[in-house]
Amino acid sequence: MTGLASAASLFLLAVGLSLIFGALGIVNFAHGSFFALGAYFLFALTRGDAAGFWHYLPVAVAASLVVGAVVERVFMRRVLNRAEHYQILLTYALLLIIEDVSKICFGADYKSIGMPKGFEMPVFVLGIPFPSYYLGLVGLAAAAALLLWLFLHRTRYGTLVRAVAQDREMLEALGVNVPLLFTVIFALGIGLAGFGGAVSLPLQSISTGVAVDAVISAFIVVVVGGLGSIWGTLLGAILIGEIQAFGALVLPEFSIAFTYVLMAAVLLFRPWGLLGRPPAVRT
Amino acid sequence: MTRTFTRYFGLMPLLVALTGSAMAQQPPIKIGALNVLSGSFAAYGKSGRQGAQLAIDDINASGGLLGRKLELIQVDSQAKPDVAVQEARRLILNEKVNFLIGIDSSSVSLAVAPLTKEYKIPLVVMHAATPALTEQCNPYVFRTSNNARMDAYAAADLAAKLPYKRWANIGPDYEFGHSSWNDFIARLKEKKPDVEVVGEQWPKGGESNYTPYITALVQQRPEAVFSVLWAGDLVTFVRQANAFGFFKQIKLFEDPVGAALESIGPMGKEAPIGELFSTRYWFLQSQSPVNKKFVEAYHKKWNEWPSYNAEEHYAGVQMLAAAVKKAKALDADAIKKAFEADGGLTYEAPEGKKWMRPADHQVFEALVWGYTTPSNDYPFVVLKDITMVPEKDTVYPTKCK
Repeated sequence: MTGLASAASLFLLAVGLSLIFGALGIVNFAHGSFFALGAYFLFALTRGDAAGFWHYLPVAVAASLVVGAVVERVFMRRVLNRAEHYQILLTYALLLIIEDVSKICFGADYKSIGMPKGFEMPVFVLGIPFPSYYLGLVGLAAAAALLLWLFLHRTRYGTLVRAVAQDREMLEALGVNVPLLFTVIFALGIGLAGFGGAVSLPLQSISTGVAVDAVISAFIVVVVGGLGSIWGTLLGAILIGEIQAFGALVLPEFSIAFTYVLMAAVLLFRPWGLLGRPPAVRT
Repeated sequence: MTRTFTRYFGLMPLLVALTGSAMAQQPPIKIGALNVLSGSFAAYGKSGRQGAQLAIDDINASGGLLGRKLELIQVDSQAKPDVAVQEARRLILNEKVNFLIGIDSSSVSLAVAPLTKEYKIPLVVMHAATPALTEQCNPYVFRTSNNARMDAYAAADLAAKLPYKRWANIGPDYEFGHSSWNDFIARLKEKKPDVEVVGEQWPKGGESNYTPYITALVQQRPEAVFSVLWAGDLVTFVRQANAFGFFKQIKLFEDPVGAALESIGPMGKEAPIGELFSTRYWFLQSQSPVNKKFVEAYHKKWNEWPSYNAEEHYAGVQMLAAAVKKAKALDADAIKKAFEADGGLTYEAPEGKKWMRPADHQVFEALVWGYTTPSNDYPFVVLKDITMVPEKDTVYPTKCK
């Protein structure tokens, strides 16, 4: 049960990273920073009062979308067609810049808010108290996964997103506004990260150092699940969430190691991830 | 060229000073402070810096030290030993600081300590808590704050007086977490042989998801849980534990800096009530004029209440100043002598008496434990029914001579 709740927040954190890599081929080291930004936005909007949580959640997500769009237009566009290490350098620089800027804007102290309205009391599952917000979180993540799947597989625009991952030039030749498409995808990925950050705020404290931890967790999830695959990300998040949950029960001394053992095993036997595709030769 | 020029130029005011003129003209005594100003622990570096700055302002306002002003040069250690060593060298070689102070991270303190012998520059540590630092018997390293062993022993002395028998632990999976729990439980079993350990949980430092550990703890049914989680980790843990109704069943025993304002501030009104929290300094505890004056001045200058790290840095700078006054000199050996003389330097800090043990340069002081309780006057929980664990209960033998 708790494993599912962890999986929910891991999924929201990682799915944007996977989406951006899958469609744009960008390895976004700053992903964790956008996760933190989403949380900071929500904290600033609610002024730390949980009463405004549901009101301001859409605003925080919208702000993240805008940030994502601006970052893509101003920065990412310039490195799209360059070697990967340019992208890594740029996104790593972004991570550092966002960390310092948010320290200046939001202060260095830990930010956190109470449980949002409607989820203050735990529910009892088989006589054991279980935080009701976790159920809410699972619901939110499931809804996000479903909407994303519908968008990618049932809408025309979603088809374009999948197509651009396959063959950028062909799409351009067909008259699709690919630069705009890239902005939309990047903003969507960042918006998801911001959403993940905002809904995690009642469960954890956010400070300037959180971005690095978040991006590492996100990478583990997508490496296990398969970079670029939405369902892979979901599977990776569930696996890691559950492994952490059972690890702490069975062998608490080694609970941290389990996650990495899983990642190492996946890298050894299926380097492209559980649901990823083996790399094809690109022309 | 310019450097020689300024050097000669700098001599002139010295002559002026000798004839009894303005001391502001003399070169200041430089204090290099290494605190963590970025990353997850930046809130602590900030309050430490603010405390140190207040002490320096106070000293300067009352005429400075040995007729010279004090100047604080603050750098960011990033809580990384390699960065801190580099910065410390720069402070010593380029900035020509007379003292190094601060240091929030244990690993940073151990990495910087050897420089004190290399350059004969005294280091006063005001936060980092690894007992290993003062076990090195380094002649020029002084610690004016508690170390983790003292904290754990004080916690055990208090725990022995409470009715709880089934204990569990949740601590960060690094040296501080493990040594604190080992020291605590060993001492507790000595004092109260019938205690039983029902579980140990070791999440990584900076963990964002404690739910697996919380459910595991709940299932192990301890009566009390010992924890040295701190900073953002503690905030996150408490939030998630609250959601599980953890505190309805289990007493949290939060050692040594749970009641840091850096942690209970962000918990706000949702902090657990009636849990036992410790801290090295609680700004509402002491009614002494020294404390009242300090709290008022700090709040006026920074528009915040002083946390333990702010007070430890304030007191640490003041204690260093007391040693300088006693030594009437700045060199490392004179400072060492001043700290060690007359059975060890004592200083009346806002939190109470600090005594430096001459053998290992470790300060001993009383520790605050109290029950968290809601407050109408502050936006965070405060401590009530405070127990002061006296410093004698935290003293442990040392091999240093």
